[in-house]
Amino acid sequence: MTAPVIFDPYSLPTDDNVNKYTFCVELKSSQWFLQKGKMIAYYGQIEFNGVGHGRLDRLLRTSFHSPLHAGDWVVADGSGKMLLADRAFDVNSYDLDDGNLTIRSGNLLAYQPSLALKQSIVPGFLTLIGTGKFVAASNGPVVFMEPPIRVDPQALVGWADCPSPCHHYDHGYMTGVLGGIRSLTGLGGTSGEEHQFEFVGAGTVLLQSTEVLMAEQATGQVANEPGVPGGGQGGPGQAGAAPRLPGQLGDLQRRFGL
Amino acid sequence: MFRLQGSKVLAVDMTGDAVKAKNGSMVAYDGQMAFKKMTGGGEGLRGMVTRRLTGEQMTVMEVKGHGTCYFADRASEINLVSLNGDKLYVESSNLLATDAGLRTGTTFTGLRGASQGNGLFTTTVEGQGQAAIMSDGPAVVLRVGAQYPLSVDPGAYIAHQGNLRQSFQSGVTFRTFLGEGSGEAFQIRFEGEGLVYVQPSERNTIGGDV
Repeated sequence: MTAPVIFDPYSLPTDDNVNKYTFCVELKSSQWFLQKGKMIAYYGQIEFNGVGHGRLDRLLRTSFHSPLHAGDWVVADGSGKMLLADRAFDVNSYDLDDGNLTIRSGNLLAYQPSLALKQSIVPGFLTLIGTGKFVAASNGPVVFMEPPIRVDPQALVGWADCPSPCHHYDHGYMTGVLGGIRSLTGLGGTSGEEHQFEFVGAGTVLLQSTEVLMAEQATGQVANEPGVPGGGQGGPGQAGAAPRLPGQLGDLQRRFGL
Repeated sequence: MFRLQGSKVLAVDMTGDAVKAKNGSMVAYDGQMAFKKMTGGGEGLRGMVTRRLTGEQMTVMEVKGHGTCYFADRASEINLVSLNGDKLYVESSNLLATDAGLRTGTTFTGLRGASQGNGLFTTTVEGQGQAAIMSDGPAVVLRVGAQYPLSVDPGAYIAHQGNLRQSFQSGVTFRTFLGEGSGEAFQIRFEGEGLVYVQPSERNTIGGDV
């Protein structure tokens, strides 16, 4: 039997992984943002406050711009070492150097306040801008890919620098009578891979090695304003239309007069 | 002799001796083994009554024989603990197997148990030998010394050993009731000398949402 490694505050790593599933953050009268409930243990004097705490106003002004997620984040403040983990998923830290990265909201665990957190235009994603470290969880190790690439929506964790994330649908779906019937009724079977996310241009795409999604953070309702994607229910052009399902080719229905 | 076969299977080599293990956790064995359900976890009538009263129930079997027996439970990670006369406190749901020579019992934990949603009582393992405990993801072992007390989230706590005092820390303020809780409203604080086992995952606790 090999003796298990025993950690104390001196042997715990500083801002690094303890093992694949646990990350240690050192605070020296400094602050970190973390998602609610991801702290598993800490040494030292650390205080946890919801982001609505009055004393944090200045910090929020510079590094927290996501009213939808305000309820999910807390600020750890003090001195000591703190362990973070999430449902026994793989956790990893990433350094941004005057860069940007967009990540699925459920995957982001914690970040340094030198980064600014913003809601992405893509619903359900968050964007980090600036210089600093952040910790993200993934179901299985993360794979880094270079665009141009098309990825499965469930495997996407995030992307950095890619200028144009967009949807891609296989054209075969549309062609011929059979394609039409298939898309309308679901008869004839589908491969489950007709819909992808496409990335082009310079950048990096982060994928997790499974298609099991992490529990999605409720992202709430986006402000109902003209020009905001996902804001409110349907634009003026599609008033009255039934809400579209993700894999559907909407305008086919209209063509068939449905 | 306990050893790990991978991180999720416990292999026990036996030469006529016995181990106590969670009922139904055997996945394979070679050699000659006899499995016997131990009524009341082998703690006698008094133990049985205590367990029934405290809700810290545990169905245990005794495995005896020659050969190697393999144990696993729901693909949880398994951690080995050596005991040298000291006491291990562990939730009954996290205890997989112990040497037959180790005494098990129940003890009152106070508010900590309530905050974990595991009830007010916990299981103790005491004596000379080895025990195997389970965790969701590999456990991190943290040392607590006089100079450095440790605070643990109740949902991530699985076990501790040594001479530790535990107290209950609450960060509940008026903000919690305004819906601006920090999500870390309850912690268990360990002081003294000993080891604490935490898992990289949180059970659902009452405190988790506050």
